[in-house]
Amino acid sequence: MMDYSCEQARETMAGVWAGETDTALRTHLDGCAGCAAEMAALSAMWEKLGDLPVPEPSLAMRVRWEQTLESLTAGQRKPESLAVRPVVPAREPRRVWWRNLWPANPAWQIAVAGLCLAFGLTIGLGAGAYLERGRGERDEVARLREEVASTKEMVALSLLQQQSAAERLRGVDYSQRMSSMEPQVIEALVQAVNRDSNVNVRLAAIDALGKVANDTHVRSSMQEALIQQDSPMVQAALIDYLVDAHDRSAVGTIRDLVARPNVNPTVRERAAYAVQQLAQ
Amino acid sequence: MRTVNNNTDHELMTAVARGDLAGMSEIYERRHRALFRFFFRLVGRQAPAEDLTHEVFLRMIRYRHTYQSGEQFESWMYRIARNVFADHTKKHRLETPAREGQMELLESGRPTPFEAAVRQQDMALLHRALRELPDDRRELIVLSRFQGLTYEQIGQITGCETGTVKVRVFRAMKEMGRVFHDLRREKAS
Repeated sequence: MMDYSCEQARETMAGVWAGETDTALRTHLDGCAGCAAEMAALSAMWEKLGDLPVPEPSLAMRVRWEQTLESLTAGQRKPESLAVRPVVPAREPRRVWWRNLWPANPAWQIAVAGLCLAFGLTIGLGAGAYLERGRGERDEVARLREEVASTKEMVALSLLQQQSAAERLRGVDYSQRMSSMEPQVIEALVQAVNRDSNVNVRLAAIDALGKVANDTHVRSSMQEALIQQDSPMVQAALIDYLVDAHDRSAVGTIRDLVARPNVNPTVRERAAYAVQQLAQ
Repeated sequence: MRTVNNNTDHELMTAVARGDLAGMSEIYERRHRALFRFFFRLVGRQAPAEDLTHEVFLRMIRYRHTYQSGEQFESWMYRIARNVFADHTKKHRLETPAREGQMELLESGRPTPFEAAVRQQDMALLHRALRELPDDRRELIVLSRFQGLTYEQIGQITGCETGTVKVRVFRAMKEMGRVFHDLRREKAS
């Protein structure tokens, strides 16, 4: 049996941690104190890693997923970003069979062209009348869409008022999925950032307001919230929000926050990074 | 009530790839905890780990047509997860990483069972040593030690030979050992 060098032994040690049996490695370790000590130390650490606690996902993650899947399977919402991208088929060779139908004689060519013109005019006039009728139907569809949007808005607002934090989270998620946010919904989300007792709802509301970060009123509300918040996570999320929105007017607010005593060190670091980003 | 689904992940995902999204529900049931733990070990914080897990399932739906019939579902899933993590890292490159679940500990006055456990001396140091490794090395330890994947599977996911994976896992463990002992000395002095 070939004996391993120290280098070869190191290259195969990880296999033993995964339960592999390597006789050549065992032989090498028996005769090499250095490698045996290294193997023992690292194996002990490998074992100890198994004692690290196992983290568990929150219920909110499941709720969020179930809502997403429900909306996708019910076909209520099929965002373009989730639609399967079709594979473009290879282009077929262009067919030229229709060319055989075109007469060779110029007199016949003129006659066919005239017929086509008459046919086109008839279709065009008929389509005009049809489109006029269709316009009324389109107005109706637009009105229905507005009603649906307004119902969604009501649902979002109603969920944001619920006592249960999970329901309020649903409300935030719902409002985030709306194609455009109405002022009432924006206001409700700003209120959630400022007043909601649950940190997760506040964080989710900040995320949702990312859609309207170009609104100066929203940005100034986020600056005000930054001063009022005492949760480090929310403070950090607000700082990120203002950086993502490139809100240079926030530099003063962020500096005011940093000037306070007892600011969380991580928030302080993030604030320093934000000031540096916004000042560029 | 949830019904028992005897289909394999591969069968479920093949159906999803054909357009039957209902199968995603069962795939989520089977895989969301493992994915969440994978991300938690990488980012060290609850909320981003949950966001990244959610994103993986969305990408599974979005890119379902890329699922190949001869492919191992788990390898495909982890390839998506690695891409999601790479995008996250790119986006938050300049952020200070959370250590020992620092933000969560500050947020709630009462520690969760997880936090209580990592507060124990050695566990806390080990947790921190893992957190301080470069992303690629931490990822290898997480995949091999915590996610229960074989080196062969990790090779398929990362695009390396099995032998290369073993060498890299060894190096990652060696570096972790060095970081752990440095932290221990720092704590003792």
